[in-house]
Amino acid sequence: MSRRRRQALIGMGLLLPSAALVLVFTLFPVGYNLWLGFYAKHSLRATSTWVGLDNYTQLLSDSDFWRSVWLATEYAVASTALQIVAGVAGALILHQRFFGCDFLRGVALFPYMIPTVIAVFVWRWLVNDLYGVIPYVLGTLPIPMPAAWLTHDTIMWVLIVLSVWTFFPFVLVNVLARLQTIPPELYDAARVDGASVARQFVHVTLPQLRNVLLIVLLLRGIWMFTKFDVPWLLGFGGGAGEAIRTLPVFTYQRSFTYYQAGMGAALSNVMLALLLMVVTIYFIAFPPAEEENDA
Amino acid sequence: MPERAGRRRRPVSTAAAWTVRLGLFTFCAFPLYWMLVSSLKVSHELLASPPTFWPHEWELRAYRKLFYETNFWRYFENTVVVAAMTTVIVLVAGVIGAYSLTRYAFRGRTLVARLTLLAYMFPPIIMLVPLFLLARELGLTNSRPGLALTYISFSLPYALWILRAFFQSIPIELEQAALIDGANRAQALAYVVMPLALPGIIATAIFTFIVAWNDFLFALVLIGHDELKTLAIGVNEFFHMAVVDWGLIMAAGVMITIPALIFFVAVQRYLIAGWGAGGLKG
Repeated sequence: MSRRRRQALIGMGLLLPSAALVLVFTLFPVGYNLWLGFYAKHSLRATSTWVGLDNYTQLLSDSDFWRSVWLATEYAVASTALQIVAGVAGALILHQRFFGCDFLRGVALFPYMIPTVIAVFVWRWLVNDLYGVIPYVLGTLPIPMPAAWLTHDTIMWVLIVLSVWTFFPFVLVNVLARLQTIPPELYDAARVDGASVARQFVHVTLPQLRNVLLIVLLLRGIWMFTKFDVPWLLGFGGGAGEAIRTLPVFTYQRSFTYYQAGMGAALSNVMLALLLMVVTIYFIAFPPAEEENDA
Repeated sequence: MPERAGRRRRPVSTAAAWTVRLGLFTFCAFPLYWMLVSSLKVSHELLASPPTFWPHEWELRAYRKLFYETNFWRYFENTVVVAAMTTVIVLVAGVIGAYSLTRYAFRGRTLVARLTLLAYMFPPIIMLVPLFLLARELGLTNSRPGLALTYISFSLPYALWILRAFFQSIPIELEQAALIDGANRAQALAYVVMPLALPGIIATAIFTFIVAWNDFLFALVLIGHDELKTLAIGVNEFFHMAVVDWGLIMAAGVMITIPALIFFVAVQRYLIAGWGAGGLKG
């Protein structure tokens, strides 16, 4: 056996444990899911019946399903956009040197470190109808405010704000890391040309941030669209949960409240298809720069 | 924008800058402050209107109830055990796998690297039903190793991705020098590559730990026995009590947050290094 060949075999051998785990727990479930989508199956019983495309045709005429797709889209678009705005603003603030900036950098990352369950509980308490501090503070302002924040009409807003609070540090850190690598000469040149701070931001900072913002947009968009725990924990236990029953929550309910495993699998497949579509469009619109270094 | 040395700032813009900084601080820190204060207020003050921003009276009632009247420590132990199992296995498999991806030439290597990135983007909810059925089939429901195994499968792809980036940045010449000096591959990995990749390894460990520490969905689906519950689902049960005790819930929040924050402050440096290299899922 040649040395080259032996090396290749050792290399593959070392990768085997990881590859096996990922295959069994990532690729196999996806394949199994595609197959399950054609069956009617109770989540806890062994039997299953072939129903062909019935699960999918049922979904097409189910208004609750379309509503959940719309709610997930609304949630993903609004919360991702606001996370990016808050994240870029935060990164610009923290990119400056000032007394206590290291401390503030740490504080700005805290929300991301808090377990989701706790973040949701804290916000449920902050906006509590009777005892919440946020309704109290907003109530002192001379503008009309809703009487309660976890109702059908308002709970989506709470969901979005809470999600921005929890996840914007992800954007902040990625943007801050990129800001630190922008050569200061670019700003010097712009200043010599008489560019204002705003123009410097638009013509120097933003183009430099383009790539990192695009990838952050893709990742955060996908993760917000498929977020289950935040809407579930916020809406659960109250009558208003229905107003934030996004596609992932709908999928969970089909699978584990109604025990329709086949339907749950079909819904997961719909999510997967939607994601692949978005990713494809994204990569056609913004082809990745040549940076792969697999030498 | 970077502040340049020697540039004079007007007082108005300084005041504006500090207002903005204070705003960021309040937005990030106030909910946490409120959680802490709420956990320490006496019951009637907790439910007082208007709320008090600095409590008049303090008490540890909520913490006593948390420690002695709930299964909190059991949930805590389960979470630590599952998170530790996940982290150790992901690190061992990830270091070996990433080493293979960067140091051995074989067909399909680039494809594997791309697949790990794809798996990193992959949302776990899509695998909900099949993983549940698979776990039931294998007898892995209501089991801490079973739960750890699902977390391993979510964490491993991006552990590979981050570690691969770190290993790629280490010049291969250093290892070749060690090999020429008579070290074998395992020694080169242990004494040359791993020390240099330490920030990446620590970052990976933190990210993996956080995935396991934070997960709600799979613990909800895979664990039914109360004595096996993790913090996320155990504490969620507090809402099922006849009267929702907000003091208790906030105390639980503080107790779960403190270890995470201490850990975070201790390793912040590495965390940011890893974030730059591949990011954190969530």
